[in-house]
Amino acid sequence: MSTVTADFLNNTQEQPGVRSPLVLGRHDNTTVTERICQIAESPKPPRAWYIAISISSSFTLMLFGLIGYLVTTGVGVWGNNAPVFWAWDIVNFVFWVGIGHAGTLISAILFLFRQHWRTSINRFAEAMTIFAVVCAGIFPSVHVGRVWVIYWLLPVPNQNAIWPNFRSPLLWDVFAVSTYATVSLLFWYMGMIPDIATFRDRATSRWRQVVYGVLSLGWTGSARQWHRYEKAYLLLAALATPLVLSVHTVVSFDFAVSQVPGWHTTIFPPYFVAGAVFSGFAMVVTLMVPARAFFGLKELVTLRHLENMNKIILVTGSMVGYAYAMEFFTAWYSGNRYEQFAFINRAFGPYAWAYWTMVTCNVISPQLFWFKKVRTTPWMMVIVCIFVNIGMWFERFVITVTSLSRDFLPSSWGYYKPTFVDIGMFVGSFGLFFTLFLLFCRFLPIVAMAEVKSVMPANHANEDH
Amino acid sequence: MTAIGDTAEKTYWRSLEELAATPEFTEFLHREFPVAASEFPESMSRRRWLQLMGASLSMAGISGCWQKETIAPFAVRPENRIPGIPQRFASSLEIGGAARPVVVTSYDGRPIKMEGHVDHPASLGATDTFTQASLLHLYDPDRSRDVLQFERDQRYTRTWDDFAEFVKTLAASARESAGKGVRVVAERSSSLSRARLAGRLLKLFPNAKWYEHEPVSRINERLGSKLAFGSEARPVFDLARADIVLALDSDLFDFHPNSVTLIRAWSERRVPESGPMNRVYAVESQFSTLGTVADHRFALRSADIAAFFATVAQAVNTLVASDKPANVDMAHEDADAKFVRVLASDLVAHRGRSLVVVGPTQPPEVHAAAHRLNKLLGNLGETVTFVFEPVSVAVETTDPLADLTAEIERGEVDVLVMLGGNPAYESTALAAALPKVTHRLRLGSYVDESSLVSTWHLPRAHQMETWGDGYSYDGTLTLRQPLIDPIFSGRSDEELLGLLCSGEHTGSESITRATLEDVLSTGNFEEAWRKLVHDGFLPDRGLSKVTPELQAPTDAAADAKRPAGLEVVFTPSSSTYDGRFANNGWLQETPAPLTKITWQNAALLAPSTAKELKITTGDVVKVTIRGKSVELPAYVLPGQAKNSIGLALGYGRTAAGHVGGSLVAGVAPVGVNIAPLRVHSTTTFDGDVQIAPVGKRVTLAITQDHHAIDTVGLAEIAGRIGQLVREGTQKQYAEHPDFAQHAVHHPPLESLWTERSSEGHAWGMSIDLSKCVGCNACLVACQSENNVPIVGPEQVAKGREMHWIRVDRYFAGDVDNPQIVTQPVTCQHCENAPCEQVCPVAATVHSPEGLNDMAYNRCVGTRYCANNCPYKVRRFNFLDFTGHLEKANEELARLIINPEVTVRSRGVMEKCTFCVQRIQNVKIQAKNDQLPIADGAIQTACQQACPAAAISFGDLLDKQSQVAKAHANPRAYAMLAELNVKPRTKYLARIRNPHPELVTAELEGHGHAHDQTS
Repeated sequence: MSTVTADFLNNTQEQPGVRSPLVLGRHDNTTVTERICQIAESPKPPRAWYIAISISSSFTLMLFGLIGYLVTTGVGVWGNNAPVFWAWDIVNFVFWVGIGHAGTLISAILFLFRQHWRTSINRFAEAMTIFAVVCAGIFPSVHVGRVWVIYWLLPVPNQNAIWPNFRSPLLWDVFAVSTYATVSLLFWYMGMIPDIATFRDRATSRWRQVVYGVLSLGWTGSARQWHRYEKAYLLLAALATPLVLSVHTVVSFDFAVSQVPGWHTTIFPPYFVAGAVFSGFAMVVTLMVPARAFFGLKELVTLRHLENMNKIILVTGSMVGYAYAMEFFTAWYSGNRYEQFAFINRAFGPYAWAYWTMVTCNVISPQLFWFKKVRTTPWMMVIVCIFVNIGMWFERFVITVTSLSRDFLPSSWGYYKPTFVDIGMFVGSFGLFFTLFLLFCRFLPIVAMAEVKSVMPANHANEDH
Repeated sequence: MTAIGDTAEKTYWRSLEELAATPEFTEFLHREFPVAASEFPESMSRRRWLQLMGASLSMAGISGCWQKETIAPFAVRPENRIPGIPQRFASSLEIGGAARPVVVTSYDGRPIKMEGHVDHPASLGATDTFTQASLLHLYDPDRSRDVLQFERDQRYTRTWDDFAEFVKTLAASARESAGKGVRVVAERSSSLSRARLAGRLLKLFPNAKWYEHEPVSRINERLGSKLAFGSEARPVFDLARADIVLALDSDLFDFHPNSVTLIRAWSERRVPESGPMNRVYAVESQFSTLGTVADHRFALRSADIAAFFATVAQAVNTLVASDKPANVDMAHEDADAKFVRVLASDLVAHRGRSLVVVGPTQPPEVHAAAHRLNKLLGNLGETVTFVFEPVSVAVETTDPLADLTAEIERGEVDVLVMLGGNPAYESTALAAALPKVTHRLRLGSYVDESSLVSTWHLPRAHQMETWGDGYSYDGTLTLRQPLIDPIFSGRSDEELLGLLCSGEHTGSESITRATLEDVLSTGNFEEAWRKLVHDGFLPDRGLSKVTPELQAPTDAAADAKRPAGLEVVFTPSSSTYDGRFANNGWLQETPAPLTKITWQNAALLAPSTAKELKITTGDVVKVTIRGKSVELPAYVLPGQAKNSIGLALGYGRTAAGHVGGSLVAGVAPVGVNIAPLRVHSTTTFDGDVQIAPVGKRVTLAITQDHHAIDTVGLAEIAGRIGQLVREGTQKQYAEHPDFAQHAVHHPPLESLWTERSSEGHAWGMSIDLSKCVGCNACLVACQSENNVPIVGPEQVAKGREMHWIRVDRYFAGDVDNPQIVTQPVTCQHCENAPCEQVCPVAATVHSPEGLNDMAYNRCVGTRYCANNCPYKVRRFNFLDFTGHLEKANEELARLIINPEVTVRSRGVMEKCTFCVQRIQNVKIQAKNDQLPIADGAIQTACQQACPAAAISFGDLLDKQSQVAKAHANPRAYAMLAELNVKPRTKYLARIRNPHPELVTAELEGHGHAHDQTS
């Protein structure tokens, strides 16, 4: 056919009546195993890995150093002030939690909807989720004034017989994020067991045998185990699905339940969830494109995978754009002057630069994905996705800081400026994220081998006929 | 005697030499701040809160400096002393030559709070910021401790005995020449004892001269009286009787020694429901507090006020003479002429019930003219009465420092005694001339600029450490009793004078008793004395009243029209006064009422002037007067008179201490000293000024509008203020007394939760905006009562000030002649408190009596409550603002702490508690006595200090209580009630009383309520 392209790696063409293959090349079960395992098994990782991890771990060290400084000195080392009591601490928290959304969405929801294309990216996305949630967890934990008593947020029976305040959205947040972290971790880990067992079986050194042996929990690959495994996976997927919606809904409650103009709005839950999926997918694409090139996974993580994700980014990006517009409409329609001003101030006040950065990155840039060329050209999509991530950080900045900086009484209006600690901790959280990610790439199966095998054309060769 | 090296710190260590060997001590010495300060990055290490009341460094020496220390439990409890139960003593404090009556609260022997004296006619229970904050100096570690002798760049620590030895020889030689060459320069004082001893000194040394000097001088008033009456009669104004007040450049509500009672009297006439309101016309160059609350304000250069007043006087004269209004072509009358015409007719219409007052910036001629106009209007003896000025032995001169300098330059002075004051800071010429005087004896609380150019520095006792006497401004004889033994070796002015006269030390109590023996010469002195000590004042032995006769005007060299162009007006600082409070953290951090600047003085410019000169707020400008110049930041203040630059005195201290600036300690001065620009040490305004930006910008530590507001914000503020601070005119009030309750319309409010009902009591507050003048007395009272920390200029600039009550100030209308509204805002104790709902650990909860309580120990510091507080009254301890108090070497600074209020730690949220400790004290007492709590028995600190009596507090369930009545007042409204937070604080709408002919659309526009209701 005339549309057939010379590039055999491009599987993005639609051929009526024919499902596009999800794994390209002449892969069979063995080659897939080889391709994935070699990443973790090569005696020495490539030099680039060393360079990357030395940079990222330096930033991680900086993060922990700054946390130490923060804890010993006080929240005042940040730029937070009255009235902007929450600033980058919460911005970063919501940013990272949002990124942590893609993993579970890909794993759980796409699994339930039988979207088989998820198999080659789900492990990767789940790992990213876990690491993003780790980064997210740090900020609210250290942002409180007295970190040493933060366990008071947990309903721990205590000698004072004081319970947390169950009316506070912050408490709901504690439950939502910790539940999400737990379930995501379980889901990720459980899904990895067959692959870890493969690692164990192929291990040549003693320590690998022991470590992978312990981690694989005695997996033998028997039919009975597979049966239990599939059931458990399905159950966990069913359990995780509502969490995808609940976490960011609850995070949005931190804002929506308060009465700060610009926060107090019922549109927040769906808008936050859409935004989270949007930013999560953007982050997966940002990481996946270089990783698949670097680790030689272009046949497993195909352009079609990336294109599918870009389509989701386009959809969620448009939802986010709609939400921005709707916020303005609601503010105007409410007739509430404080609410109206919150939005006028966003767009035309002292933080207008942040607002328009957000709009450009989040609303305009994903619209480029209407072009197939952009959707299927790796470097282009990475640029768009980086913009989306920048935009989504600014979205949280705009919501948090701009709203707080000018609320009801003009006498208390203020302006927030970050300090070097704010900036350092944000950069440091990326360091932590990438450090964990690089360790993951080096020591764990970055693609779900067992699952990929189930969608390989070779294994379904007879079904078409 | 030990010779001490050149650094100031070392002297502090003298008594701790034995410590010096220990390694800890060595390390301690090497770090300027023994606290964790060196861990801060560069920008933070300067934070003043660590230096607060002097770096803790200096404190290590304290135990050694205490005269006598006995640590032993009371085997027998002293009579009338129950541990932990505060005692209250009547006393007084003298600032600028007038005694300010106070009642001091003392805990276990340490005074912790100064409050007004309810029975004293010059206080009526209220106080001002300076009086309250002066207590902080008592525990200031920077205060001077020892007698010092300076010789050839060396500093020696001496004792009072050494000094007495020295004085003996000095006095002997001085007596030979009958005191020729002996000069004294003292602060102004109303003290009878000081006057008596000064007289004795001058008798001993007949050729000596006694100068008195105050940089914030009221000499123009005294000379004005002299011009008008031939004697220094002191005018006492009765604002309660005045229907119409014309205030020309006045400082009645700011720095006037009688401001407290003046505000009270004025405020009683601002309540529309209790009789006719007064009307104030203010004509002034700077924004005075009276100007902010005036019904009509006219901004005019200080230099033009004399001429303006002449036209008013002319108009009044004409009206009085003809007794019927002149024909005016109203259609073609310009605004200024109309103002004069209306003002004159208003004054004449209220003859005997009007008042013309002139501020101390204006020259004596204007004062004299005002007396004449008051006479013409029949106000003398009605709204203004006179008392004699206290006796003074001082040389009659308008510029004592210049005269003294001239004498020194001529070599006529051998011995100069400086009693307090800080002449070397105020006059650079004097400072330069001083070395020509052989013996320079300085009695001062601090080793300050003047002490550093002396040969002897003698520590001056804090006023709460010694006995004394004086007259309050209204002439009431007022006693000062000490609350504590001198913490260091300080002595009072009188004690030093006694020593100079007799060579022997006489205690201040004996001196005061000896003085008052004559005054109290009625029968049993001991009994009269005890009563005086108890009451603090004697109502019938004050300055005698006088009815002075006007003298024929001397050739009224009618102040020729001053040249147009820029002028500079030298004003006292609302924080440092004349610089004496420079080392006072509370005052430094008290925002200036109008500009809201802290920790800084600025050149105040009118928007039109700033525009012409292309200057904006924060630009550093160079102000030059005839070759002398200073550089300081500019602040553009709406309502400042065009072409008038306001400069506040009292900044740029180089030897104030660790708070106000000290070159020795490496602490940069706070603000800029503008004294070099003054031609005379009492100059109040001057022309021939150049001002130009130097091309630098600084960030001012401002507590409101921390950053310049953009046009979007300004437009919104303009729209909001009418809803937040509701006000209307007398006419609107008469038509619709409840107009304020209809300023905002909202749908019916429903609660998410079951609302609580109050049990037993329902504490509530009301703030009458019609009375509030925005003087900050409440703010300092709260700071003192509730141990509110000081954070320093860097933190203020970041928006982290900690004040539990703040006075919001908004401008409305024309930028050149704006309306000012002030609104004290503190925790509103919402019944549906949004902060309580969002706290995850339930650290802020509701009490059954309706208080929004804050459990500091439970607070984790998520700051969610502060985000959700619509009034933004919650304050967060972003850094360790109080940790320094825990250090072992902060014993002294810690003594100011009110033991009934928790000192909050880092990471904890705090806010107004409605002075819960005071509520509990009264409740416990009432329970013990088995009596109900009387209305008014509980007073919050802000309420107690308020000169205007604008704040009431009490039980809303008691329908007869002041506060319940205020809440039921038709003017009462709750701010942001539409949020359904149900605040327990209600504001009473402000009513203005403009002259009907001068009502502008603007005035009527605010609180445009009723048009919307129908």
